[in-house]
Amino acid sequence: MPLHYVNSRKPARSVSSSNGDDGAVEAGFGWDEFLGWFGGRPGQILARTEVAPVQVEEIRLRVNQPLLLRLTGEDLFLDRTGQPAPAQDAYRVELSDLAETMDRLTQSSLYAAAENLRQGFLTLPGGHRVGITGEAVMKQGSLQTIKHITGLNFRLAQDIRALGLDILPHLISSERRLHHTIILSAPRAGKTTLLRALIRWLSNGVPELGLPGQAVGVVDERGELAGLWQGVPAYDLGRRTDVLGSCPKALGMGMLIRSMGPEVVAVDEVGHAEDVAAIAEALRSGVSILSTAHAGSLEEARCRPILRDLLVGGIFERAVLLSRRRGPGTVESVLDLARGQEVRPWGRVANR
Amino acid sequence: MLILGAMGLIAAFGGIGLWLAARVRRRPEEIRVLLTALALLDTDIYWGATPLPEAFSGIANRVEGPWRSFFAEVKERIEMGEAAWPAWKETIARQTGAFALKPEDWLIVLDIGKGLGRSDQQEQHKQLEMVQKQLALLREQVVIWAEKQAKMWAYMGFLVGCASAIFLI
Repeated sequence: MPLHYVNSRKPARSVSSSNGDDGAVEAGFGWDEFLGWFGGRPGQILARTEVAPVQVEEIRLRVNQPLLLRLTGEDLFLDRTGQPAPAQDAYRVELSDLAETMDRLTQSSLYAAAENLRQGFLTLPGGHRVGITGEAVMKQGSLQTIKHITGLNFRLAQDIRALGLDILPHLISSERRLHHTIILSAPRAGKTTLLRALIRWLSNGVPELGLPGQAVGVVDERGELAGLWQGVPAYDLGRRTDVLGSCPKALGMGMLIRSMGPEVVAVDEVGHAEDVAAIAEALRSGVSILSTAHAGSLEEARCRPILRDLLVGGIFERAVLLSRRRGPGTVESVLDLARGQEVRPWGRVANR
Repeated sequence: MLILGAMGLIAAFGGIGLWLAARVRRRPEEIRVLLTALALLDTDIYWGATPLPEAFSGIANRVEGPWRSFFAEVKERIEMGEAAWPAWKETIARQTGAFALKPEDWLIVLDIGKGLGRSDQQEQHKQLEMVQKQLALLREQVVIWAEKQAKMWAYMGFLVGCASAIFLI
């Protein structure tokens, strides 16, 4: 992905929530940051809703389907006035809403978002991510782009300060070195949020744990982890963190190790064979690895060839399993992979 | 007094003629500047995948005359959330008066906006290349036309001035 693409975009100015017949309404409840991304009616509806963005995990726009907000443990359909409504009374998203939203998301520059479209999502400033569905255009067996876009899923990134502090002692060795750690969960369970928090703790250090700050290198392939905005991370990833944005993990890890001398290398969502090779290579240089992967459980992860190599091959020493049982970020267990047992019985640990 | 009046008349008509001649000469120049702008845009899109607002901002800083404010306005409109095509169309509608271009020139300029940003880099490159060829051909014709027209207006201004002076005397 061209680096400047993610770095140069800024949201269009917020849509006016005036529509002539309903009168003008000021965007409230903290939606100002987001409204510029939405075209057509959805922007006006969100400007009027009383649901605060901090409660919202996802905003789904599907053509001819109701406008949907996914909250923790609850789905809300919104009507034209922004009020929660039954599905049959909710505002139905139109094709023109999606087209206008895509224009705003890409600043009318689809060509600049080509690489993102190939991956099926766009990253927005602040680390928010927009998943895209439509009709795939294939060329010689590989995805060229997505056309006739029919669905957009805005995933709003959260940044929770205290998260991860309680599991950190179990991820640190007696020499104050981070165990090679992988965070596993199904989608929407808070992997990236926890990873971001751990990076910050490691980078800043935690005097209470006797943990000094460490140089952390982050390869942010999807732009979601740091939320790069004009080259500056939108999220605080700590005082000793170097971010390499929009770079493939396999390439970026080696680059960071050679150029920035990190003690910890953090990457999000490993899953390709080349990622495994890059992690194995990174281990040889003596850095600690902090990573995430999609898997609902350890068993599920072990069934996947790529993750199995990472888990069974003795690369990772700790696995943190997350779920949504008590909301995103519920730590189900922290496993010592060498011993094959939990570090200690785990209840709800992550604080939100 | 009479002679002074006659000279004033000739100067006034001559001045109008020269002003019209200068305006006519601006047309090929404006097409030339547009060609430069499109070459810059093509490079930005094809080699840099630069988003349109950023590309337009760069162009506005590098071109002269009315195109500077034209591209600055299109950039501003897209950043405000307008799609590229309506932004382009609206800017043309608002700024036509600042140019010496003729309606047939504007038809080509209008066409540029129709596909802007809506396809991949290759396709954008092809479209921009095609319109640059069209404009280059147009400019060749316009240069010859403008030279003739400019001379005509310059002479005509003074001649009409002289004729008016003789008629009044």
